Amino acid sequence: MREFLDVVRSVLDHEVVDSNEMPCGMVDDIEVEGGAGGELRVTALLVGAGAWADRLPRPFGAAAKLIFGRQRTRVPWGEVSVITERIKLRSRASELGLGGADRKASRLIGRLPGA
Amino acid sequence: MKKWVEIFLGILTAMGGFVEVGELVFSVNAGAKFRFSLLWVSLVGTVGIIVYCEMAGRIAAVKEQPVFNLIRERAGLDAGLLTLVAATAVNLLTCTAEIGGIAIVWQLLSGWPYRWLIVVAFVFLLLTVWVLEFEWIERVFGLFGLLMCVFLVAAVYLRPDWGQVAAGFVPRVPHLESTSEYYLFAYFVVALLSSIMLPYETYFYASGVIEDGWNPSDINLNRIICVVGMTLGSVLGVALVILGTQVFQPRHIEPELPGAAALGPAMLFGKVGLIAAILGMFFAFAGAAIETALTNAYNLAQFLGWPWGKFRPARDAARFTLAWAATFALSALVIITGVDPVSVVEYSIVFSVVILPFTYFPLLVIAADKDVMGEHANGWLANALGWFYLVVITLAALAAIPLLIITHGGQG
Repeated sequence: MREFLDVVRSVLDHEVVDSNEMPCGMVDDIEVEGGAGGELRVTALLVGAGAWADRLPRPFGAAAKLIFGRQRTRVPWGEVSVITERIKLRSRASELGLGGADRKASRLIGRLPGA
Repeated sequence: MKKWVEIFLGILTAMGGFVEVGELVFSVNAGAKFRFSLLWVSLVGTVGIIVYCEMAGRIAAVKEQPVFNLIRERAGLDAGLLTLVAATAVNLLTCTAEIGGIAIVWQLLSGWPYRWLIVVAFVFLLLTVWVLEFEWIERVFGLFGLLMCVFLVAAVYLRPDWGQVAAGFVPRVPHLESTSEYYLFAYFVVALLSSIMLPYETYFYASGVIEDGWNPSDINLNRIICVVGMTLGSVLGVALVILGTQVFQPRHIEPELPGAAALGPAMLFGKVGLIAAILGMFFAFAGAAIETALTNAYNLAQFLGWPWGKFRPARDAARFTLAWAATFALSALVIITGVDPVSVVEYSIVFSVVILPFTYFPLLVIAADKDVMGEHANGWLANALGWFYLVVITLAALAAIPLLIITHGGQG
């Protein structure tokens, strides 16, 4: 039996958490393989402002990249472990190159007392 | 027992956190200009904010997932982003207005230079949110905001004609002298409604539900706190209208500055009244400034998938922390340039109502969706009230800017 999943409804624009349940972005776009007439298969999740900005009308997309950056991280579909409201991954965010901006910001404020 | 304490504190903090600078200014002025004839707007607005906060809180408790996260999931990227941008801009404006309000109110008490007080307020807000846990932020500002009850006591002491007060709750337009007076009345209807239903309140409330770790078993707690706490909070707003009517209207004073409201308690109870009024306003405005700054950080983080929440140490929610700090910093920068704080209050209220339909519509759609909410989806009453208020705020949103222009910013 073949299984189908409505990826637009159940995956796209959902929150991504790593194996420690730490939020590490949203499913900002989905990479699919295959062409017209053939079978389509999801190969990866794309995470980062660079991915969602490209889904906006052009001038807005350019503005979004200016503010939020062009980062776009590819997470192979095989990394997905559980799909509920959140998309849970098998690895830690740092191993997949996710959450980099937060780690950078964390180094910045981590030195303050009480952080 | 613990549950009862939670309900009791929840109600008191909802009450103490209800009034902010915009509502204070417009309520007192509403009384000074139109006596009790705008009281029905307080009633309409209060039921409206209860309806939408209850929905937002229920969504967050049932899904144990933040509202902005769901908005993006259900409304999609484009519509979600529109809501995010609009809400962020207006929250920034509201935060600016609150910081201006804090500086003005402290100036009354200390006589220090206004600009220095803005710097002090900024540092105070930054340190408070950095140091205090979420629960304590809620309690400190909610409970000390209850010092605003001095306005309620003053309103009773002023012996208004209670028959006239009661009549004010019946929706009607009073007989006025000129067309421009009618426009001004309409402007006050829109502004007072907006000041009660400010957009940050629902989002802050829903994120608070997650900060406090509520789950589906808490939906009755949510309902009680919304209904009782906000109804009691609205009584403070009504007291301010009565104060405006009894103190300012007979003397033909236009109480433009937020600090003017303190005149009522000061006249009646001397120094003690003045200090209670000023401290009450300070905690109410500072609480609202904190809520708007945190709301901006919540919204951004939930839309973009950043780790968020005061329940995490700051280093584990670093961009979230930077976002609320940046909101305080930007707001302080805007108000320190010397822009007129009263105009900022005015614009924050008018632009809030313009974006209100964008921020409320997704909440209504999600709360009504049985696929998302299951058995906790809106019943007929929540749906009927939700749609009624959506129509009301859409009409108010359409009328807001034309009325702002026609009345020269409420000057008549």
